[in-house]
Amino acid sequence: MMKKFLTVSSWAACGSAMLISASFSTAAVADWPTKDVRLVVPYAPGGTTDVLSRRVADLLSDELDANVIVENRPGAGSTVGTGRLARGGRDADHTLLMASPGHTIGAAIYPNLSYDPVEDFTFIQNVIDIPNVMVVPADSPYHSVIEFIEAAQDQDMAFSHSGVGSSIHMSGELFKTLTGSKMTAVPFAGSGASLPALLGGDVDVSFENMPTVYSHIKSGDLRALAVTSEERSPYLPDVPTLSEIGEYNLDQFVTTAWFGLIAHNSFPEEGYDTLKAALDEVMERQEFLDFAEQLGAQPGQVEGEEFKQFVIDDLARWQEVAEQAGISQ
Amino acid sequence: MENFSEVLQLFLSIDNFIAIALGVVIGVTVGSIPGLTATMAVALALPFTFSMQPVAAILLLVGIYKGGMYGGSITAILIRTPGSPASACTLLDGYPMAQQGNAKKALKTALFSSVIADFISNIALIFFAAYLAKIALNFGAPEFFWLICFSLTIIISLASGSMVKGLLAALMGILLSLVGLDSVFGSQRLTFGNYNLMDSISFIPLLIGLFAIPEILEFYRKKIVPHIKAKASGAGMTLAELKRSLKSIIRGSLIGVLIGAIPGTGATAAAFISYSDARRRSPNKANFGKGEVEGVAAAEAGNNGVAGATLIPLLSLGIPGDVITAIILGAFMVHGLTPGPIMFQENLSLIYALFLGIMFSSLILLVVGNAAIKYFSLIADIPKSILFPIVLMFCVYGAYAVNNSTFDIWLMLVFGLVGYLFNRSGIPAAPFLIGFILGPMFEDNLRRSLLISHGDLSVFVRGPITWFFIALTFGSIAYALFKFFQERRAAGKDRQLES
Repeated sequence: MMKKFLTVSSWAACGSAMLISASFSTAAVADWPTKDVRLVVPYAPGGTTDVLSRRVADLLSDELDANVIVENRPGAGSTVGTGRLARGGRDADHTLLMASPGHTIGAAIYPNLSYDPVEDFTFIQNVIDIPNVMVVPADSPYHSVIEFIEAAQDQDMAFSHSGVGSSIHMSGELFKTLTGSKMTAVPFAGSGASLPALLGGDVDVSFENMPTVYSHIKSGDLRALAVTSEERSPYLPDVPTLSEIGEYNLDQFVTTAWFGLIAHNSFPEEGYDTLKAALDEVMERQEFLDFAEQLGAQPGQVEGEEFKQFVIDDLARWQEVAEQAGISQ
Repeated sequence: MENFSEVLQLFLSIDNFIAIALGVVIGVTVGSIPGLTATMAVALALPFTFSMQPVAAILLLVGIYKGGMYGGSITAILIRTPGSPASACTLLDGYPMAQQGNAKKALKTALFSSVIADFISNIALIFFAAYLAKIALNFGAPEFFWLICFSLTIIISLASGSMVKGLLAALMGILLSLVGLDSVFGSQRLTFGNYNLMDSISFIPLLIGLFAIPEILEFYRKKIVPHIKAKASGAGMTLAELKRSLKSIIRGSLIGVLIGAIPGTGATAAAFISYSDARRRSPNKANFGKGEVEGVAAAEAGNNGVAGATLIPLLSLGIPGDVITAIILGAFMVHGLTPGPIMFQENLSLIYALFLGIMFSSLILLVVGNAAIKYFSLIADIPKSILFPIVLMFCVYGAYAVNNSTFDIWLMLVFGLVGYLFNRSGIPAAPFLIGFILGPMFEDNLRRSLLISHGDLSVFVRGPITWFFIALTFGSIAYALFKFFQERRAAGKDRQLES
């Protein structure tokens, strides 16, 4: 009886050991994700980051054959949600975050964050880039960037933005710093809220996100002087980039509202590979390209280490601008 | 209209009809339960609308708003407990009618006048909103600054009871609204280093705390169970009675429309103004307050006349007229829409689809209201000892759901205590709330104006719109002071006569 029991139990032990090792090996080879993937949006529902993330989560769910669940963790710019991801924890191997310029600008304005915006994270893929557009009201006397800068050497210009630390605000501050123009920042509550002031001529210029002003440029209510991206936007092919203008240090002016997936720095390598392959599929799908077109955006260019380097450079640049604009806390 | 088919496509969706019907049912239900206000129901429903289509989402909230506006009258009439502040006026004549065995007549009167007022208000919304939208583009920061100044004076002059307590409450609201990041420099104000406060105090936890929690605390302090059970019996409203009240209903609706169109006022004031107007004009003056059909009709017409019209400043200027429209504004934002002139340029089809939905909601209100008269009084009979724990659970969920933040639950509970202390000390919560909402708008537009003008003060008198609102602002203050001193003189005379 005893012997029989031993045999049974040793078989059982052996079997369970095999089972355990089997499950270990599958986990190590290809089995990511093993559960639902969380995509943290560090902003409230309804903003560009949220809308974009929900679209990407949908497509990614398809490709990964797993649920990708969007979770909004807004607060203090994007630093509440991002700080939470940096702390890691139980689900860190299945949690992603949609980072945006807020990731670097936030860190530039608030140097005392609880996390390191570079070292605490794994950088996966820059998903989408939205250019900003330098726009003036239709009846503005300025028809080119140079005309505007020359006028702004003696005359104080008002530029509207969507809140301290937004890419719209920082683009204006960067422009002011590089060109030595006299400019006053006028805050409004969110992108689009400044449109009546811009359309009514209360402010002289803005560096709005492309989707916000595209229809107004098309209708002739606003005049686009330049786009902020490295290359001309296919949606406004006649509008020059700031960097191609070159004068007044503008060759250094390349910035976009970028959106990209990041994860905790303990993110498993097999997860990275699977995710990367799925993202490549997503970014080639027609639904994704159509969506990008709606936003006047282009698919992201950088991934992995390149993406990390991009973030490091972006951070350094905004630190300098925040310092000069006097908004570093 | 060239986009007519687009409008129909947006409107004729089964989701919209479900949203309206559901909204009105929720509104009437919640409105009829004392302590549960339509405001709270709209706040609680907001997170659920995040995943809905924009038209359906807004219609759900508008449905709750309208249903709640009527629903409040049910308990006001049956158990002398207004389901919402706006229906406080309805019980003056509604409850005596119920006591005289005419509960059904009172309930029907309230329903018919609500529906008629609602319809008139919708018509006004559709015409005035389009008209206002055209001139709204001339509303720059200085114009908004004066508009907000004017709204602030209206609240002061309508603060019920003590003017000092009303002002105190408004100032406390403004003080709390300062918490967060400075809009120009990004520096932290009154956050005490707590990152949860960097985005300022969350509005919805504040709202839920301020209104729902004190009711619950008050119940457990007093442990009073409503004991009167009036039957919803007797005859309905006769055609002759409706005819007799029709003038009061229409006048009340127009008063409601005017008050609703001015941001920062509200349904409660409209109900009382309409009621006093009807009383002044009625041949049955003496019967008011003793169960007069016309009194119920005027009060309900006044408060329901507000419902559609509050959407005028919201849609055309992006300014919320009251708490509910502030939440509806939030719902627009969540769906990437900015109410205001731009929305009329960019989302005209959507606005017309909304208008159709809002018109349709009047009809739904009639149907649901009729059913409610039969059954809903039963829900108000659920013992509070069972009801309130459920309410508390929803409070916690509602506070948490907005930002997925446990900090907000604590915030909600703290404001519950604040609201309770307000109740105990007779400080009105409404001026506090309006101060909290308008405070940042006042500050931002003041600073924005000065930034735009590079510090030149003449920007504040730059055009006819600013002049108009300056005149209204000072006129309103002068009127409030005049009334204040007149009442004091009258009180002084009374004292002299006594002695």
